[in-house]
Amino acid sequence: MPKSKIDWSPANWPRLLFRFFSSYGLAAVVLVFLTIITLFGTYYQVDNGLIAAKRKYFTSWFLIHEFFGKFPVPLPGGLLLMLILFINMTIGAVIKVRKRWRGIGLLISHFGMLMLLAGGFVTFAFATDGNMTLYQGMKSSQVQSYRKWQIEVRPVIGENKAEKAWVIPSEALEKLDPNEGKTYDLPDLPFDVRVSQYYKNANAVPTSAPVSANAPGKEIDGFKLLQQELFTEAERNIPGCVAEFVGEDGEKAETILWGYSSKFLPDEKPMPFIFEMGGNKYAALITKKTWSVPFEVQLDKFIFEKHPGTQMARNFESRVTRMESDQPEKKVEIKMNEPMRYAGFTFFQESYGPPNAPIEEMFSQFAVAENPADQWPLWALVITGIGLAIHFVISLMEYSKKSRSNRAKS
Amino acid sequence: MKSSYTIFCLAAAAILTSCGGDKAAVSVRDLLPEEQEFKLAKSTTERFRYAARETSGSGHEGHAHATKEGGPQLIHDIPEGWTEKPAAMMRDVNLAFGENGEGECYLSRLPGAGGGLEANVNRWRKQMGAEPLTPEAVQKLPKKTLFGQPATFVDVSGDYGGMSGTEGKKNYRMLGLVLSNSAGAVFVKLIGPKALVDANEKQFNQFVDSLDVKL
Repeated sequence: MPKSKIDWSPANWPRLLFRFFSSYGLAAVVLVFLTIITLFGTYYQVDNGLIAAKRKYFTSWFLIHEFFGKFPVPLPGGLLLMLILFINMTIGAVIKVRKRWRGIGLLISHFGMLMLLAGGFVTFAFATDGNMTLYQGMKSSQVQSYRKWQIEVRPVIGENKAEKAWVIPSEALEKLDPNEGKTYDLPDLPFDVRVSQYYKNANAVPTSAPVSANAPGKEIDGFKLLQQELFTEAERNIPGCVAEFVGEDGEKAETILWGYSSKFLPDEKPMPFIFEMGGNKYAALITKKTWSVPFEVQLDKFIFEKHPGTQMARNFESRVTRMESDQPEKKVEIKMNEPMRYAGFTFFQESYGPPNAPIEEMFSQFAVAENPADQWPLWALVITGIGLAIHFVISLMEYSKKSRSNRAKS
Repeated sequence: MKSSYTIFCLAAAAILTSCGGDKAAVSVRDLLPEEQEFKLAKSTTERFRYAARETSGSGHEGHAHATKEGGPQLIHDIPEGWTEKPAAMMRDVNLAFGENGEGECYLSRLPGAGGGLEANVNRWRKQMGAEPLTPEAVQKLPKKTLFGQPATFVDVSGDYGGMSGTEGKKNYRMLGLVLSNSAGAVFVKLIGPKALVDANEKQFNQFVDSLDVKL
């Protein structure tokens, strides 16, 4: 049978695109690539950590994979592949497919798979995760990012207080070339800030320290900023940079900003760099991004149990009170596998600290996730399961019917 | 079929137009009440959490060092024939030995990884005019116990160029220990004329074994 000739005229391009994006061949190719990048991404994670692997393989459009660390091979990224798969499944399995009762199960299960992919995208685009640490008796609504560091410039009120912060976000800082730097205009403030030598992991060392003897970089206030190797666990990196504040009349202040000056314990205060510009005082620091939840959480009691004779935690859980204006207070227990879900936020019992502290001096750490698609994977799997079950029942009925018919004939 | 690819075209247009956007502009935010206050650091040293190093002045061989009042103390022996020098920047313990104090041994700490094991080992080797070691060779260096943990031991002889590399002290020997982990980095370094260091190797081991932290 001769093949029909393809019409390549521009008027037919939408039809050709439609046919291409709905083809089984495309689905097969995408699934093969997804398998490949999942494999490579998993290996990459071993040496480079979860965050780096996610960025390179699963949330990218394209990537260069180095076979055996030597041979660069361009590959499509996870984001691109999942987008194509979503389009392919939407057109091929939902829009284009012939609608008939015997196909209802497969249609439903494809809806489930589309929901799973959509949930992944919503999580990628809109989910936030951070943590909240509290000592017993403390309450807070503040959540702190694990990995996102930002520069904040705060006009000082009185001695050691500020109410507003001008923020250079982590998205901007992470793109900076350490050797070039960049000047940022701070709206309504009488100066700009030039950020240079931004290292994602840095160490500020006194120039008297042996390690700084041959190190490049500027000496400021007896310190130099040294670039450090990145940790595979991205949350362990502590960034630093050189910040130069330049006023409208040429007034200048310069310092090293280093993440070690920010707070690490729940009741600590950060130690910013203080400078004067135009007769006013300002505070500048590198600190982790923070945001708030629309209610307060108070840690009433932290329970910590060890395995007998060891320092290993057997169980740790928190009794908290959730407080919200115009709402009655609510007592909640947060355990390792029993999070508190409220107002779109999920509080997991994540950790505790400091190490080896007596129980009354320990803080409890909650992982706080806000993900509009939090429950989508569960629902997606339920829908897919229902679809497959329906398809199985229909197929079984058809098979029995056919068998009965065959038996009757024979 | 026609309506199907009309939907497809509309979806493709929506996806293409939704790409882009700059999330990197400077923004202004209100600080929560609990994050409005900050601590005024008296110096850059304090801001970077390099605790003020004080000798305890206990009069008992001066071998306990407090990082802050009531905080953990660094304790150690002072080997026979060694003397304690005044505390110096970046030296938590500062000892000297030899007739004119030409040999010295000190302990220093750095937050973070302190530059990394390989860089520090090769920096010390460079000060002695020795060739740098490969990462594999650094990993194979012998270990000694420091604060109960295995620390990398460096033993190198040569002409000591000092921190600047220009001191040109002939026939010296350096013994060093590097302990680097997530809690920070600790360095113990002994340097002096080779004959003097040879004679004090036992005292170096005694000093290292005595190092401890008293909570």
